Amino acid sequence: MDLSIVSFVQIIVSVLLVIALMVANAVVMVYIERKMAGFIQRRPGPYEVGPYGTIQAVCDSMKLLAKQVFVPGNVDWLLYFLAPVTAFLPVLLLYLPIPFGPYLTAMNVDDGILLILAFAGLGVVSNLLAGWASNNKYGVLGAARAVSQSVAYEIPMIMALLSVVFLTGSLNLTEIVDSQGSWPWQWNIFAQPFAFFIYLVSLIGETNRAPFDLPEAESELTAGFHTEYSGMGFALFFLSEYANMLLVSFVCATFFLGGWKGPFLDGFWWTFIKAYAIMVFMVWIRWTFPRVRFDQLLNINWKWLLPLSILNLWLTAAILKILSKIY
Amino acid sequence: MNASNFINPFSIREDEGSFAGDFYTRNFERQARKDSIILNLGPQHPSTHGVLRVLVELDGEYVLRAEPVLGYLHRMHDKMGEVKTPYQYLPNMGRVDYLHPIAWNWAFVGAVERLASIEPPKRAEYLRIISCELNRISSHLLWWGAFVLDLGGVTPILYAFEEREMINDILQIITGSRLTMSYFRFGGVCADCDSRFIKLTKDFIPYLRERLKIYKALVTDNIILRRRLEGVGPMDTDICLRYGATGPVLRASGLSSDTRRNIPYSLYDNFEFAIPAGPSNDCFGRYLIRLFEIETSLQIIEQAIESLPDGPILIDKAPKANYKLPAGESYFAVEGARGQIGVHLVSDGGKNPYRVKLRSPGFSNLSLFAEAAKGTLLADAIAILGSLDLVIPEVDR
Amino acid sequence: MTEIEKLIQRFKQAGAYVISNHNFKKEGLTVSAVIDASQLKTLAKDLYRQGYSLLDLSTLEVKEGFLLTYHFDKFEKPGRIALRVLLEGPGPIAPSLYEIFQGAEWHERESHDFFGVKFAGNPNLIPLLLPDDFQAPPPLRKNPESLTSLAALKLFGSYEILSSRWETIINSKVENIS
Repeated sequence: MDLSIVSFVQIIVSVLLVIALMVANAVVMVYIERKMAGFIQRRPGPYEVGPYGTIQAVCDSMKLLAKQVFVPGNVDWLLYFLAPVTAFLPVLLLYLPIPFGPYLTAMNVDDGILLILAFAGLGVVSNLLAGWASNNKYGVLGAARAVSQSVAYEIPMIMALLSVVFLTGSLNLTEIVDSQGSWPWQWNIFAQPFAFFIYLVSLIGETNRAPFDLPEAESELTAGFHTEYSGMGFALFFLSEYANMLLVSFVCATFFLGGWKGPFLDGFWWTFIKAYAIMVFMVWIRWTFPRVRFDQLLNINWKWLLPLSILNLWLTAAILKILSKIY
Repeated sequence: MNASNFINPFSIREDEGSFAGDFYTRNFERQARKDSIILNLGPQHPSTHGVLRVLVELDGEYVLRAEPVLGYLHRMHDKMGEVKTPYQYLPNMGRVDYLHPIAWNWAFVGAVERLASIEPPKRAEYLRIISCELNRISSHLLWWGAFVLDLGGVTPILYAFEEREMINDILQIITGSRLTMSYFRFGGVCADCDSRFIKLTKDFIPYLRERLKIYKALVTDNIILRRRLEGVGPMDTDICLRYGATGPVLRASGLSSDTRRNIPYSLYDNFEFAIPAGPSNDCFGRYLIRLFEIETSLQIIEQAIESLPDGPILIDKAPKANYKLPAGESYFAVEGARGQIGVHLVSDGGKNPYRVKLRSPGFSNLSLFAEAAKGTLLADAIAILGSLDLVIPEVDR
Repeated sequence: MTEIEKLIQRFKQAGAYVISNHNFKKEGLTVSAVIDASQLKTLAKDLYRQGYSLLDLSTLEVKEGFLLTYHFDKFEKPGRIALRVLLEGPGPIAPSLYEIFQGAEWHERESHDFFGVKFAGNPNLIPLLLPDDFQAPPPLRKNPESLTSLAALKLFGSYEILSSRWETIINSKVENIS
C-alpha cells in the first residue's frame, strides 16, 4: 500500500468515521442494553427523556462530559490519565481493516486479522495501568484479574479464528468474506461450528462482559480497575468497552456469519445486522446469568476452551490436508 | 501531585509514615503477614448490604483472615428501652430489623405479655401468625434477590421485589405500613383484617407457588449458580453451636431446630409444617433451606386463614402507655427470618423496664463469618456473607 | 432422672449459690443457677459437650454489682437455661468463654462496651458497637441512685439457696420504688 495523499486522506476520513461510529454505537447500545435489561427484568427501562426514552443515553453522555474529573490523592498522575486514552486509542485502529461492505473498508490490508489481534491485546494494558495507577486496592485486584483473563481468553479466540483462516487460506478479512456465500449454509459457521462456539464464549471473556466480568465484578471489587475514575475518564473506559464489543461482533460476523453477504441483497446492512444480533445476544447473557468465580473462569478457558480449540484446529488442518491429497 | 507521591499498594505497610488506617485497621494489621493486602470491604460496599465493614487480609485472591467491624448503624436500642415505657418503646421494634419487623414486634410484645401474664385472644394469635409468616416470606424473597445479586445475577432481585410488593400491599391493609411495621399490641393486635385482606392472601398463595417454580427453573437450576454455591462455606453443627448461630444457618447444618417447634409459642403447635434440616451445610444448602421456608410459611398461612376464628383482637384493658410492668424478668424468643430473636426483659416494677436486652440472630450469625471465610476466595467470602442473610440494623441494633 | 434434674445436680456439684426452677410459660427459662465466676468455664464446657449453644449474654447492673446472665439453649426440649454470675466491687472482671464458645467473644465485647465489664481471656476486647474513640462512661451504666437491688427484681423464680451470702442478698428488704 503506497502512502499517497489519497490514501492518507482516506485514512483520516475513515478514522473520523470510526470515531463517529464508536460514539454512536455507545449511545445506541446503552439504550438497547437498558431497554433490554428492562424487558428482561419486567420493568419499562428508560422512558422519560424523549420518545420512549431514546434521548436518555445522549443526556447521560452529556452528564459524563460535564462531570468534574475527580482525581483521588496519591495517584500516579501520568499513568492515571494515560490509561483511559490507551483504552480508547487502539480500538480506533482495529476498525480500519474491517470490511463493512463490499467497498466499505478503510484499509484493505493483507494481514487484517493479525492487525486486529495485535492491537486488541493492547486493551488490557489500559486496564492494568488504570488499576495500578489509581492507588486503590480494588483497582489492583481488578487489574490483576483483567490481565490474566485477557491473556487467557485471547488464545482460544486466536485458535478459533485461525481455523477459519486455514479454511480460507488468507488473513485478509475481505477475502474471508468473499470465500463465503450469501445463504446461511454457505457461511463458515456451518464449516466451523466448534470454532464459532469457542469464539462466542471467548469474546464474552475478552470483552469482560457478564458472566465473565471479573475485572469489574461489582459485588466483589466495587468497580475493579476503574473504581477511581469519574467523568470523562470513566466515559472513555465505557466507550472502549462498547467499541470492543462491537469490534468482536464485527469480527465474528466477518469470520463466521458471511460478513456483508446475506440472502437476497448483499450490502453493509447485513454486517451491521449480524454484528448487532451478536451484541444483543451478549446483552441477553449479561442480564440472565450470575457471575462465575475467578478460578472457574480460568478453568473454563485452560481446561476446556483451549484444548477444544487446539483439537478443532488440528482436525481442520488434518481434513484440509486429506482433502487436498484426494482432489 | 506527581509520580513520586505514588504509594505502592503492596508495600503500604513498609511505609509507616504515610499510612494511617483507623483504629480497627491498625488493630487488625498487627497480626498480618508482611506480604499480604489488607482490604476494607465496606462500610460502603455493594455486597455488604448496608454499612457492614469487613476487614480482610488477602493473599492474592485468598482470604487469610477476616474481621467484621460493626457499629456503623448502632442506635442503642437497649438504652432506649430503659428510658421509655414499653408502650412507647414498641415502635422501635419495627426499626431493629426492617425486613422482618413483625417478628421483632412479637418478641418484645411476647416478653411483656409473659411478664404481665397476659393471654391474647385467639383471633389475635391467628392474625399474628399470618402477618408474621407473610413478613417472613417477604424477607426471604428479598434475601433471595440480594443473594443472587451478590453472585452477579442482577435480574432476580427485581423479580423478588414484585412479589414483595404484593406482600407489602397485603400487609399494609392490616398494619398500615409497608416497612417498619408496628402491628402488635400488648394483648393482641392493633387492627382487624377485612375480607379484602383474606381474599388477597388466599389469591397470593397459589400465585407465589407458581412463581417459585419459575424461580427454580430460572435461578436454582442454573449451572453457574450451583457451581458458585455447592461446597462453598461449609458450616457444620459444631461451629454453629459454638457461635450461637440459629435459623436457616443452623438448620442447613443438619440440626432441625426451629423456635416455632422447639420452644413453641403462640399457636404454632396447632399447625402442620415441616422443619427442614438441610441437605448440605454449604451455601447452596442455606439457599435451599430459605426457599423451602417460603413454602413452609405458605402452608402455615393457608391453614391459619382457613381456620381464622371470630372474636376480639385485643383484650379488654390492654396495657397502655402508662402501664407499669410487674417486677421480674422474662425471656421471649421467636423464630425470625434470620434465626432466633430473643428479648430479655427485666423490670423492677417501675414505669420503664429496668433492662431490655435484644438478642439478634444476625449478630451471632455474623460472628461466625470470620472463621467460615478463612482460606476461601474473595468471591466465596462474599457468597458466604450473603448466605448468612444479614440485615445490618439488626446486627448493630 | 430427667435431663433437667441432672443439670441441677451438676450445678450443685459445681457449688452453685442459688438454683431456681422457672415457670417457662411465664419467664421463658427452665432452670437458672447463680454460680461462682471461677466455675463458669467448667460448667460452660459441660453444657457445650451436651450440645448446648450460647445464645445470649445479658448484663444487668444492680446495687450489688453486675449480674451476667448467660443464656444457653439446646434447640430441643427442655428449653433455655441460664447461668448467672455476680461480679461485685469496682473493676468487674469475668472469665471469658471464648475458648469454649467463640461466639461469646462478641457478646463479651458488647458487654464491655455498654457496662465496662472486663473479660479475662477475650482475645480482642476492643469496642464493638461503640466507636473506638468513645470517651464517655459506658452508656448503659445507671446512676447510683436509680440502681435497684437484686431482691427487688425477683429474678429467681422458685429458688433454692445454697449459700448464706445469697440468703442475705435475695431475702433483703425491698425498698419502695418511686
